[in-house]
Amino acid sequence: MAPAHRPYRLGRLGALMERESVFSWLMLTPPVLFLLAFLGYPFFYGVYLSFYRREVASVASFVGLGNFVTLSNDPIFWQAVRNTIIFTGVATVLKASGGLAMALVMNQNFRMKAVTRAMLLLPFIVPTVLSTVAWQWILDPGMGLFNRLLVVSGLANPGPSWLGTPTMAMISIIMVNTWRGLPFFGISILAGLQTIPVDLHESATIDGAGTWGRFRYVTLPSLLPVIFIVTVFSIVITFFDFQLVYVLTGGGPANSTHLMATYAYSLSMGAGQLGLGSAVALSMVPVLGLLLVGLTLYVRKD
Amino acid sequence: MVGELTWRKRILGLWLPLVAFVVVALFPFTWMAATSLKTNAELYDPKAMPLAIKHPSLVHYIDLLTETNFLIWVANTMLVAVIATGISLLLGSMLAYPLARMRFRGGALLAIAVAVTYLIPQTLLFVPMSDLIGRMRLGNTLTAVMLTYPTLLVPFIAWLLMGYFKTVPKELEEQAMIDGASRWRAMTRIILPLCAPGFLSAGIFAFTLSQNEFLYALLFLSKSSVRTVPIGVVGELIRGDAFYWGQLMAGALLGSIPVALIYSFFVKYYVAGLTAGAVKG
Amino acid sequence: MAMPAKSKATRRDFLKLAAAGAAGVAAGPWVSRNAQAKPVSITFARESAYVKKFDEHFQKVMAPAYEKATGIKIEYQIQAAGGSAPVQLVAMVENKAGADVAWTQQEWLYRDALVDVSDIAEAVGKEQGGWYDEIKRYSMDKGKWKSVPMGNIGQLMNYRKDWFDEVGVKKFPETWDEFLEAGIKLKAKGHPFGMSMGHGFADNYSWLYPLLWSYGVTVMDKDGKKVALDTSETAKAVDYVRKLYKEACIEDCVGWLDPANNKAFLTSQISCTNNAYSIMVSAKRDLPEMGKVIDHGLNPKGPNGQRYHALVPVTHGVFTYSKDVQAAKDFLRWTMDPKQYRPWIASGDMYFAPYLHGFDKVPEWDIEPRVKPFQKVLETGKITSWPAPANRQHGEVVNRWIVIDMFSKACTGTPTKAAIAEAVAQLKTIYG
Repeated sequence: MAPAHRPYRLGRLGALMERESVFSWLMLTPPVLFLLAFLGYPFFYGVYLSFYRREVASVASFVGLGNFVTLSNDPIFWQAVRNTIIFTGVATVLKASGGLAMALVMNQNFRMKAVTRAMLLLPFIVPTVLSTVAWQWILDPGMGLFNRLLVVSGLANPGPSWLGTPTMAMISIIMVNTWRGLPFFGISILAGLQTIPVDLHESATIDGAGTWGRFRYVTLPSLLPVIFIVTVFSIVITFFDFQLVYVLTGGGPANSTHLMATYAYSLSMGAGQLGLGSAVALSMVPVLGLLLVGLTLYVRKD
Repeated sequence: MVGELTWRKRILGLWLPLVAFVVVALFPFTWMAATSLKTNAELYDPKAMPLAIKHPSLVHYIDLLTETNFLIWVANTMLVAVIATGISLLLGSMLAYPLARMRFRGGALLAIAVAVTYLIPQTLLFVPMSDLIGRMRLGNTLTAVMLTYPTLLVPFIAWLLMGYFKTVPKELEEQAMIDGASRWRAMTRIILPLCAPGFLSAGIFAFTLSQNEFLYALLFLSKSSVRTVPIGVVGELIRGDAFYWGQLMAGALLGSIPVALIYSFFVKYYVAGLTAGAVKG
Repeated sequence: MAMPAKSKATRRDFLKLAAAGAAGVAAGPWVSRNAQAKPVSITFARESAYVKKFDEHFQKVMAPAYEKATGIKIEYQIQAAGGSAPVQLVAMVENKAGADVAWTQQEWLYRDALVDVSDIAEAVGKEQGGWYDEIKRYSMDKGKWKSVPMGNIGQLMNYRKDWFDEVGVKKFPETWDEFLEAGIKLKAKGHPFGMSMGHGFADNYSWLYPLLWSYGVTVMDKDGKKVALDTSETAKAVDYVRKLYKEACIEDCVGWLDPANNKAFLTSQISCTNNAYSIMVSAKRDLPEMGKVIDHGLNPKGPNGQRYHALVPVTHGVFTYSKDVQAAKDFLRWTMDPKQYRPWIASGDMYFAPYLHGFDKVPEWDIEPRVKPFQKVLETGKITSWPAPANRQHGEVVNRWIVIDMFSKACTGTPTKAAIAEAVAQLKTIYG
C-alpha cells in the first residue's frame, strides 16, 4: 500500500470522488439505504396504519384521525400517558442524581477499581427480562428479600405489598428501572469527570474554593454537557420501555402501571386492533418530543 | 482528588458510599445465585432465609445444560450480537464520518433526520417489521435479527461516533491530502485509527443492547434451535403457569458471564470512548 | 411452514414434484389431492404443555408414526409459554406464512384465516359421544367449525385441606357466602386466600366471571349486542368481591399475574386460590408434605343457586395460507382419531380434558382422584363470552381486562357505581 506522502495519481473518476460532496454522499448511501429499507419503510407503514381501522386478518379501512379521537376519549390511554410521564420523569431524576453520586465516589483512587466498575455495571448488562423475573421474587410480600429484611430488622411486619397496590406497583417499577439504569449514568458521568483538567481544580483551590465550591463552580459546569446528553438518551429509552412492565405487572393492578408501550402492545396483539395500537405508539412521539423540548429549554435557561 | 485525605473523609466519602452502591447493584444477583443453587423444596420453604442455602445443589445448572438448548442459545446470542454490532459499527461510521467532518449540501438536514430516528418507538415498528421479515422469508432465521438489530443501534452509534470524529482536527486530514493522500486514504489510515476507543465504546454498547433485545427476537425466532438467551430462557423455562425458577436464575447468571467478562476487559476503553465522544460532542 | 425438508429428494423426485405442481396449478383447487404431489412436511405449532410428557409423547410417538404411515414429516414447533404464542400466531396470520396447523389461541382475532374443519369436527363428535355444546360457542363461527377442540384446561379452587380442617371447614364451601366466612377464619389464622385479580389470562377469569354469572349477571346479552353488565346484581357481586378481598385475601393478589398464585401457594402464604392442577403437581414433586394436603374444590354457588366454571379451550386449527390444506386437515383428523387421541390425552395426565362425552367416564380419570373434579368442570363450564358469541370484540374485552379491572379497581378504592360505570362505558365503545 502506498504510504501517504507519495504523490497519488488520480484519474478523472478519482478526482470526482475527491470532491467533498460526492465523497460524502457515496459514503452515506449504504447506511441511508439500509435505514430507509429497514427503518423508514416500517415507520411509514406504522404511521399509515394509525390512520386506518385495521383488525388482524382483515382489510384496512381508512378512518383518518378516528383512532386518535377514540384514544382521546379512552381513560386507559390517558392513564398510560400519565403513568409513562411519571415513570420516566421520576426514574430519570433518580438515575441522574444517583449516577452523579456514583461517579463522584468512583472518581477517587482505590484498589480493585476496575473490578468494582465491572460489578457496578452488572445490572445494566444482564438481560432485562431475566433480572426482572428475579425481581418478582425479591418483591414477594412474604418470601421476598425486601420484606424479609424489614421483618427481621423490626421495621415493618409484614412488609408492604410491593406489586399489590397501584401506588406501590408504580414505585416498584420505578425502583427496578432505576436499579437497572443507574450504572449507565454512573459510568458515563465518571468518564466526563475524568476529563476535567486538574489545573482547573487547582486554580479554584488557589482562589479559595472549598470542596463544595469546587464542585459547584468547576465540576458541575464541566459535567453538564455529558449529563445532558446521557439524560436525553436515557429519557428516550425509558419512555419507550416495554419489557420491564410486561414481565413484572402486565400493566396492572387496574392499569396503574400500564405504559404507552405496553398499552400499544396489548391493543395490537391482545385486541387485534393493529391500527389503534399503532396510533398509541405514534402518539408517544409528540409526548416525548414535548418532554425533551421542555428539558432543553430548562437547561438553556441557565 | 485535590485536598486533604483524612481517615474520616476516606470512609465517608469513599468506602461507605462505595459499599452501598455495590450492595445495591449486586444484591439481586446474590439472590439469583442463591436460588440457582437451592432445590425447589428449599426455595419454597417459608421459613428459610432467601440468601441462605442449607443444601446446595447443582441440579438446576445440570438440568439447564443437559435438558435445554441453553448452550445453543448462548452461541446464537453471541453470534447475533457480534454480527449486529459489526454491521452497526460499519454503517454507523459511514453515516457519522461525512456528517461530522464534511461540508456538503443536505448535511444538516440529514443530521437532524438521524437524530429524529431515535424518537421512533419499537412498539410502532414491530408489526410492520414482522411483515417485512415475513416477506423476505427470513422468519426463524438468525439473519432476521441480525438485520433488524442494527435499526435499533445505528442511529445512536452514528451520533456517538460523530462526537468522536469531530474531535480530530481537520488540519490532520488536510495535511495528509497536501502530502498527496486521497480522501479515502486519509480517512482510513489517519483519522479512523485515532478514533479506535470510540469504536470500542460504541461497539460494547451495541453488543450489550443486542444481547438484551427481546421483542424482535420473540416475534421472529420461534424454533428452539434459533432462539437467543432472553427468549429461550423465558420461553422454555416456563410451562403453563409454572416457572422453573432455579433454572431461570441459573440461565440468567450463566448468560451474563460472557458479557460481563467482555465488559471487564474493555471497560476502560468504554469509559475513554464515552469521554471524548460525549464531552466534545 | 410447509417447506421441503433437508433434501432426500433425488433429481427424479424433483422433476416429478415440479410436473405435478405445474399440473396442480393449471387444474386449480378442484383437483383431488392424489393428483398433486404430497408436501414433504407439515408444521404444527403449539404452546409448550404444562405436562412435559404430553409434548414428548407427540414428538417421540405420534410424529414418527405419522411419518411412517404417510411419508410426511411433522415439524413440531413448541412455542414459549407466558403470552408469546398469540403474538406469533397473529404474526403468522398477518404474514400469511408460518405453521400449517396450530393451537389457535385467541382465534377470535383471526377466524377468517382459518380453514373450515366442520367435516373433521362432525366426524369426531359422532364417533366419540358428541361434543359438549358450550365449546361450539368458541370453535364455531357462522355455523361452521373453524377449529377442532382438543381439550379443556380445567380451573378449580385449589386449597389446603389441613388448614381448612383446622378452622372447622370440613367440606369445601358450597356458596360464596360460606367461602367468605371460611376465608375470614383462615386469614385470622395467618392463612389468607389469594384470589388473582391482576392482568393475567386464566386465574382471574376462572373465578371472577363464574362469580358474576352466579349472581345472575352476564357481561353482554345473548346476541352480543347490548351491554348487560349494568344491573344491581353486578353491584352486589362487586361489593362481595371487595369484601372478600379486604377480609379474606392477601393484599398482593389484586396485582397477580398467572404464576404469582402458584408461587404464593407453594410458599405457604395462602390457603386457597383458583388455578389449574399445576400447583398440586409442583407440590407433589417438590414439597411432598404439602402435596398430601392439597385438594380441589368446585366454584361455589351464587345467590341464583348455580355454580359455574370458566372454560379454557385448547383448539387446533388449519390456516388458509397453508400450502397444502388438505394434507394439514388429514393430519389433524388423524390426531383426533381415538387410536392416537386417547393415548395422547392420557400422556398429559388428563391436564387437557376432552370436550367429548365419550371421555366422561374413562378410567384415566381415576388415576389421581384429585384430578377427577376437573372433568366435572365441563358440566357447568362456560366460555367467557357466555351467553354472547366469542367474537373479536369479546377477545378485546378479555385482553384489555375490562371486567377484571372493574373488580380490581373496586378493591383498591374506586366506588362500586363508578367502577361499573367505567366498565360499561368501555364495553359500549368496544362493541360499538
